[in-house]
Amino acid sequence: MATAPQLLEPRQRSKPGDLAVVLLARDSYEPLILEQSTGAVDGYAEGAMLNTRFGSFPHSTLLDIPWGSQVRASAVDTGSRGRKRRREDSGDDASTPALEDTEGTATPTSAPAKKAVSASSGFIHILRPSPELWTYSLPHRTQVVYTPDYSYILNRIRARPGTRIIEAGAGSGSFTHASVRAVYNGAPKSEDDRKGKVFSFEFNEARFRKMEEEVDSHCLRDFVSIKHRDVYNEGFLVDGKSPMASAVFLDLPAPWKAIRHLSRRRPQDMEQDASDDSKWVSALDPKKTAMICTFSPCIEQVIQTVSDLRKLGWVEVDMVEVSNRRLVSQRDRIGSYLPKEKGANPNPADVTEALSKLREVNQKTREFTRIKANGREGGQDDQMDVDGSNSEREPNANNKLDESSTEKSWMQGRLVHRPEAELKSHTSYLVFATLPPEWSEEDEAAAYAKWPCGNEAKVVGSLDKAARKQEKRDALHSKKKRKQDQADGEAQ
Amino acid sequence: MSRDRVQPNCWVALKLPSEDFKILEIVPNTTISLGKYGSFPSNLIIDRPYHLTYEIQDKRDDENFARLRVVPAAELNADALADTSADAEEGETEEETIIKPSDGEELTLVDEASGQVVIRSKGEAIDETARQTLTIQEIEELKKKGTSAGKELIAKLLLSHTAIEEKTAYSLAKYKLLKTKKYIRRFTVLPLDVPLLAQWMLEDKDASKIMEMRNESMALVGCWADVHYVAPHLNDAEDESGGRWLVVDDTGGLLTASLAERMGILHENPDEAEKPQEENPEVQIEAGSEETKTEARPAKRRRPDDLELPFAKRNTLTILHHNTQPNLFLLRYFNYDSSDPDPHPPYHPLFSNMMSLSWLQLLNPEEDITLANPPEEVAPEVLATWKTNRRGNHHRKRRRWARTRHIVDSTRAGGFSGLAVASPMDPVSILRHTLPLLAPGAPIAIYSPSIEPLNSLVDCFSVGRRGAWITDPPKEAEGKGIEELERWEGNAEYPLNPTLVLNASIQTSRAKRWQVLPGRTHPVMTAKGGAEGYIFTGWRALPVEGKIEARGKFKRKKADPK
Ligand SMILES: C[S@@+](CC[C@H](N)C(=O)[O-])C[C@H]1O[C@@H](n2cnc3c(N)ncnc32)[C@H](O)[C@@H]1O
Repeated sequence: MATAPQLLEPRQRSKPGDLAVVLLARDSYEPLILEQSTGAVDGYAEGAMLNTRFGSFPHSTLLDIPWGSQVRASAVDTGSRGRKRRREDSGDDASTPALEDTEGTATPTSAPAKKAVSASSGFIHILRPSPELWTYSLPHRTQVVYTPDYSYILNRIRARPGTRIIEAGAGSGSFTHASVRAVYNGAPKSEDDRKGKVFSFEFNEARFRKMEEEVDSHCLRDFVSIKHRDVYNEGFLVDGKSPMASAVFLDLPAPWKAIRHLSRRRPQDMEQDASDDSKWVSALDPKKTAMICTFSPCIEQVIQTVSDLRKLGWVEVDMVEVSNRRLVSQRDRIGSYLPKEKGANPNPADVTEALSKLREVNQKTREFTRIKANGREGGQDDQMDVDGSNSEREPNANNKLDESSTEKSWMQGRLVHRPEAELKSHTSYLVFATLPPEWSEEDEAAAYAKWPCGNEAKVVGSLDKAARKQEKRDALHSKKKRKQDQADGEAQ
Repeated sequence: MSRDRVQPNCWVALKLPSEDFKILEIVPNTTISLGKYGSFPSNLIIDRPYHLTYEIQDKRDDENFARLRVVPAAELNADALADTSADAEEGETEEETIIKPSDGEELTLVDEASGQVVIRSKGEAIDETARQTLTIQEIEELKKKGTSAGKELIAKLLLSHTAIEEKTAYSLAKYKLLKTKKYIRRFTVLPLDVPLLAQWMLEDKDASKIMEMRNESMALVGCWADVHYVAPHLNDAEDESGGRWLVVDDTGGLLTASLAERMGILHENPDEAEKPQEENPEVQIEAGSEETKTEARPAKRRRPDDLELPFAKRNTLTILHHNTQPNLFLLRYFNYDSSDPDPHPPYHPLFSNMMSLSWLQLLNPEEDITLANPPEEVAPEVLATWKTNRRGNHHRKRRRWARTRHIVDSTRAGGFSGLAVASPMDPVSILRHTLPLLAPGAPIAIYSPSIEPLNSLVDCFSVGRRGAWITDPPKEAEGKGIEELERWEGNAEYPLNPTLVLNASIQTSRAKRWQVLPGRTHPVMTAKGGAEGYIFTGWRALPVEGKIEARGKFKRKKADPK
């Protein structure tokens, strides 16, 4: 029996064979399959090794620890792999000399410098993988669909536990991972136990192979079927059988060439072999409504797709564009008297500060003139220094900085936010459409027989004038009657 | 029960020609009235597939109800596709289409806003003036009066059978208007699910009740909190409880519903579609029609032990609320009554997979009235002598106590797989008390209609603050271990332990709708304003113990540019 894939089973600790996502620095992720080593690997005595610009990390230090853990770099003998420098004090955080990069670690010559280096650069965090982390760390082969788009798409096409979803092309597998999480509802117990599943197609051979590998190493084989296929010409059946899909996502250059394969019946334009007419199999579940999304960067693709969807009987055709912004939070430190640190803006904070600044300049000018005059009369050098100290700044009351606040620059200034430096202002247009199941006259007759009409007892929903009048009349009538009854009762 | 067909007594959404939704419970043998749009028997849509568009027919002479006609897709799309041919050919054909309805077709002019029929091309008495040819002056006059006058004009033109030239002066948009009116009696039956409910609440009903949370925000929260179905059993014994998500929901249950939908626990029997349960309707009716909430139960079904817990260990949601009871009123649209603590079978999946507790129960359980008063043990012999009512109360009390005890204890034990929040409460205070409950590595996603609260939250984890915490820890933190610092109570400088959250970020998403028609493709002109909606994301971290704090300066932030 198949077990739950790691991606869909939130455990607390890492174990061999797991996919881990290493957080190197802010927004910098790296995927890694954790290995248990019994001996040296690649010349590392510690076994399998993760080398980063923040140090070397034997897999053994990443195994059987809680996800989310901060992990110190290890001092590692790089053996023949790097410069033959080695430190004995393995207890220290140390970046592996062989892996120093340009912005990297200062050479640990003196003790204080060494400490500073190891503390700031000698660790990583290890995260439990999720489709989001995979999306932002996967090795790119193509453009990929990111979280703002796929979250919205999966929501709109109603991909939920149990849904069978078709996807083409697989590309780098970003959408694949997000959709398998959405449709997963347990492992099938037998061949014909129909559970939620992703049916993915990719026509580029190399990408197909890579996808196969990843599906395998992420233990998703039971939940993702990946086929090497040109879907324009060959459609979406798997080994001649229908995936019984009710959700479809097409991220292809020409989605309109693929959608005719997603009909309920053989489309008219497909060559008809009279002999096997009955054998045409739809990739869609005949009982369920199908929901599709196509993903195209250009408006021309959209227009073509929309027109073809409408011709093929898809309804509720809708197009949206998702714009997502990431916002950076920062403290705007503005002031002429702030300590000269990076990030501080030396502009006066307010008009008062501007005035005091100007007055200082005035004063300096006056003093300078005076000194100059004095100098001509044979001034002394030390006069300057004295004057210099006299013109020491006088921060205004609003901006007085005591000793402690100089240290806490992270509490100073106004907290503001702004979009990230680089904006993703357009990804693609999202076309949505719906294909209801077929409903024949016979179906309707059967349903009508089961649910006959004509015996409606009451009216629900918004009433029209006539119905409302009638209801009022009835209410009035019963009220009258009640009053009447009451009166009768009292009379007795 | 198959979710592919309209089931009796389930909630559905009817989409009207005005694009508005009508949310209704489909009770068999009732008449569903769509007001001006007409009415029809509920039985005509029960057991039919969703997403069909119907047209309400005129009553037949011998019937007391209106029948429905399924409008084929080709007819629904005719307009959008017809434009293609109209565009391809010359203006002349276009004019033709404007004035000549196809055989037997009725042209009705309807005011879109009110649904009021302005005028009809046949069957009703038409204002005599409309039959007369309009003069150019009249037309100019009407044009000046604005849009609504335009409709009047079109109606008059339409019905006057003349003045073709003037008609074409009107734009294609007006032509659309003309064509839509014959769809007046159409509606589409849609399954009521979370995205639709959210759209309806936001656009038609009361956006403030759901904190103006759009579908795009809701989808982001679900993904970033990594909420998904978790299998009930694992093969190995390790990590027996898994897939428990902690939720703070002040959207009336919308957030909860969306997470439950992702976990497959929102809709009743979502997997049962293939099972032959339908063949056994009596059982269902019996269970469903049970209205009495008393203890008088058929003897054959043994009532489980009061202290037996109905809760699942995995694939669960735990809701934290600020009133004594959670406000999850929207769950009723999924046939879950959150106000009934003691329902009878068949149970809604949420009954076993959703738990709730108040902040007081979480933080000061000793002050909770239920917990403070554990029910007394009563010997069965004694119990047997009690009156039914008293006995029922006793059982109810014991059950409530056992369940509350379990919920409070298991929640306080922590280990949650993720946190999802949509609440007007200060997120800093929420995280202060929930961070210790999250398993390290657990994702965090917080929705806020405005950015300011989230911005202050992110600032708690700024590079500068984190660096300072490590190099120069506050006095109160000195000598404390990692675990103690997980429960850091916060001070002015460090509202939260800044090392507990990784990659704190804020984003916002907006789905912009477009109109796609040949030659007229553009973003739609208006959209709902109000809250933009922001999402905070991050992961719960487990910092290393000791040493790293003891080390010298942490000045260079190259590892952590921000
Ligand atoms: C932009 S990528 C898809 C990226 C993917 N959605 C993701 O999130 O990683 C498009 C992919 O479609 C594939 N493709 C193009 N035409 C195809 C066809 N006719 N059949 C199958 N795949 C095709 C391409 O090879 C390419 O890998």
